[in-house]
Amino acid sequence: MNKEAGINQLKRRDFLKAGLVFGAGASGLAAGYAAVPDAFARAVYAAKKEGMTNENILVMIQLAGGNDGLRTLVPLADPSLHDLRPKLAGPMVSQALPLNSQYGLNHNLGGIKGLWDKGKVAIVQGVGYSNPTFSHFESIRIWETGDPSRRQVDGWLGRTLATNYDSNGHPLTGCACGATDAPGALRDLQATLTVIQNQKTFGFTGGTEVEAAVGALYKGTPGIYGALFDTAIATATETMATLRTSASTYHPMADYTDQVKLVYSSKNQLAAALQLAAELIVTGTGVKLLHVTLGGFDTHYTELNRHDDLMGYLDSAVSAFYKDLAAHNMADKVLIATWSEFGRRPKENASGGTDHGAAAPLLLIGDPVNGGLYGAEPSLTSLDNTGNLKYSVDFRSVYQEILSGHLGADAPKILGSSFDRIPFLKAPVVV
Amino acid sequence: MSLAPTHDQADSAAAKTRGITRRQALGAAVATGVGVGVVRLLGGSMQHIAAPRTGTTTDWISPLKTESARVMHLLRRTSFGHTPAQLDAALSDGFNKTIDRLIETAPAEPPTLAAANAPGGRFPIAQLQQWWIDHMFSTSTPFAERMTLFWHGHFTSDYRKAADDTFMYWQNLTWRRMAMTDLRSMLLQVTVDPAMLRYLDLATSTGQSPNENYSRELMELFTMGAGNYTESDVREGAKALAGWQVPQPDATATVVVDAKNNVTRKLPVYSGQKSGVFNPRRAYKGSVTFLGKTGQLDTQGVIDRILAQPTTAPLIANKVAQSFVTARPSPAYVKNLGDTFRRSKYDMKTLMRAIFTGPEFVADQSYRSLVKSPTEFMVHAGRALGVSSFSKLVAGHGSGMGQTLFDPPDVNGWPNNEAWISSNTVVERVNFVTAALGQVKSSLPPASDAIHRHLDGVLSPQTASLLNQAADDRARWFIALASPEFQLK
Repeated sequence: MNKEAGINQLKRRDFLKAGLVFGAGASGLAAGYAAVPDAFARAVYAAKKEGMTNENILVMIQLAGGNDGLRTLVPLADPSLHDLRPKLAGPMVSQALPLNSQYGLNHNLGGIKGLWDKGKVAIVQGVGYSNPTFSHFESIRIWETGDPSRRQVDGWLGRTLATNYDSNGHPLTGCACGATDAPGALRDLQATLTVIQNQKTFGFTGGTEVEAAVGALYKGTPGIYGALFDTAIATATETMATLRTSASTYHPMADYTDQVKLVYSSKNQLAAALQLAAELIVTGTGVKLLHVTLGGFDTHYTELNRHDDLMGYLDSAVSAFYKDLAAHNMADKVLIATWSEFGRRPKENASGGTDHGAAAPLLLIGDPVNGGLYGAEPSLTSLDNTGNLKYSVDFRSVYQEILSGHLGADAPKILGSSFDRIPFLKAPVVV
Repeated sequence: MSLAPTHDQADSAAAKTRGITRRQALGAAVATGVGVGVVRLLGGSMQHIAAPRTGTTTDWISPLKTESARVMHLLRRTSFGHTPAQLDAALSDGFNKTIDRLIETAPAEPPTLAAANAPGGRFPIAQLQQWWIDHMFSTSTPFAERMTLFWHGHFTSDYRKAADDTFMYWQNLTWRRMAMTDLRSMLLQVTVDPAMLRYLDLATSTGQSPNENYSRELMELFTMGAGNYTESDVREGAKALAGWQVPQPDATATVVVDAKNNVTRKLPVYSGQKSGVFNPRRAYKGSVTFLGKTGQLDTQGVIDRILAQPTTAPLIANKVAQSFVTARPSPAYVKNLGDTFRRSKYDMKTLMRAIFTGPEFVADQSYRSLVKSPTEFMVHAGRALGVSSFSKLVAGHGSGMGQTLFDPPDVNGWPNNEAWISSNTVVERVNFVTAALGQVKSSLPPASDAIHRHLDGVLSPQTASLLNQAADDRARWFIALASPEFQLK
């Protein structure tokens, strides 16, 4: 694909010049985050000589709202769980799918248990950070920027895009599937990314005539939002062209379904989003970093049914996704990782739910994974002064392993520091 | 009238004195592809070439020195744009008198939504969405709807978790009636609002085993902001607030909820709008230490402690400023607004008057400095086209642009400004314009309206050029409504 021409036949020098100007204006504009650019990133990509170091791909699944770690990886033998959760503990322990004598997976994670049995699931326990905030939005930002000090405004994946990829001006290098706006993790002033809510409706009604008119309309737009608008349209137009090709060659090899009965339904179509991710991966669009979200994890009330439903939804979507990738011989390239802004309070509340917590386990799934349990088991009897689980693994240790071990990216540069290694990858690219 | 840009001698001279000619500016635009030249099109003639503020960047040329542009700026930000009659009335009143009218006119009540009588509030949410959008189109007081939308995003709830669309309907009626009252009254009401009692779980909290959800978000998102209270305040506040429950129904009705399997359920029926009820048996009995004071504390006491905190007024002032003035209000501006708000005992009329009459509102930097929310964009487009209603179309198109009424993404409501711009949302905005024009079978208003009455005649070279190339008014309306200019306010 000839990307040299770029969206406006611009020279790299022009982009860099404009990028500096835009960056100066936009840095103050963003409230907490960098604004989402931008064609300027293409110039940055073009500036890199090395290109991609490998063909590996990362899929981050956000469990938004704060996933209950104790109902995901269930402690089977700790009697204090029943004291803390008189309503919630019984069924979750008795039905759990045991991994060993101490821990079991939520009973609705049967597909993921099957992958565990094949050594394709790593679970890192007790992941968090020091002095945790219990605000959704503050903690989401910390996880997205990879900075508990809250100074960083760019997302950790956005910085990865900007720092490590020569993607030949490819806006699909980073893609948020099933969303309408860019997740903070993928944002960076110098990164281009694509956002597609629903592939079936992603396109201009009115066809190429409208596409051409709008392409001409959104050029050189003045004002503080000008570059954002122009890039959004240019990115959309390029992505539509890519999807027209990929849609004709992609045949899903698994059943993706979003027909899930949820007590309080999630707003996201996880299976459809992962199916789009699979299409982008198996048709060789050059996608590297994908982000999807499953919402509804803020289980302050009637958690029993709701959380089980969400686990089942996650399980069926991830299982279909893995099966599809495997059938297309792409499973060895793709690492799936979950993240959530925090776990939940060990002690249940009056509503049959749990309030905001701290440390929780993360799941890493796929052929690149060296299966097993990592990190220290969090104690249910030695809680912190807010009644929450103490963390044993800094979440940036997990990011570091993903960045250097899977993507071959410059983790210390992206994260600003080095962290203890968590060796959950079979064959890390960079040690 | 010709839309063709013809060269204007006087303004060319003015441009030259600023050290840039039109040809240079346009040439630069072609070379870099980013905004370098801005053409102001007024009365069919090209008048100004932008004088770059910093020497390298460009912005829209603000027309806000003129009274008519200020009036249109005000209506865009407060009233979902305007119909021709509303614009004429506002132009005749002038900017200052229009501000008085916006602030002092009592909100027009929407028609009763009959569906809200359904037992258990079981009716399609689309009916509630369309009812509200219909009212946005037809009301004589669109500012009341704009403020209702603001509070719907602030004291937000979603219909999924409220699990009773009648409760959502009541909440909407409440924010319309209270939108321009005072923060204390609103906080007392939001705490006992039935949809909110469900949404943030206060209805199921007890003093013995409190649910922290409402206590936390009350302080973090509704008033004081993160970092200005402790985790202990969250827990103690949750104790003090416990005891509220959703109102008792006046009757129940047996309704078939699954006809195939003949499943029936007893659902609540209400004779009219109600608030939550306090059940002392579920309340906390002891004393609490909340925001620095120890003692017995009821809900009113919690709210008054929060209103005594210095960060509450600036949080609201900042959010209002970001919604109505600028994406980046300066700290000094926010402090002034907050001081005014707090001194007035949190009076919303005082705050909104300070917003609209302050120099910041009509400063050149404020021009087109906000992105219309999807609802504002769609309703403005409909009003500009003169259609009486296409609420079904509007309700159906919000999701792809990131805004579904009564279904915010999370407890923080909707994001604003640059968050509305992505590859997905901008395409969806264009598709809405295509669909909207497809529904207008009769003749359209003259396209010059679009340019002069809705875009102030301030166009980018690209927009001006495409308008000139357009075959007919339908195509011109498409370009005008799909343009970046029309996405901004």
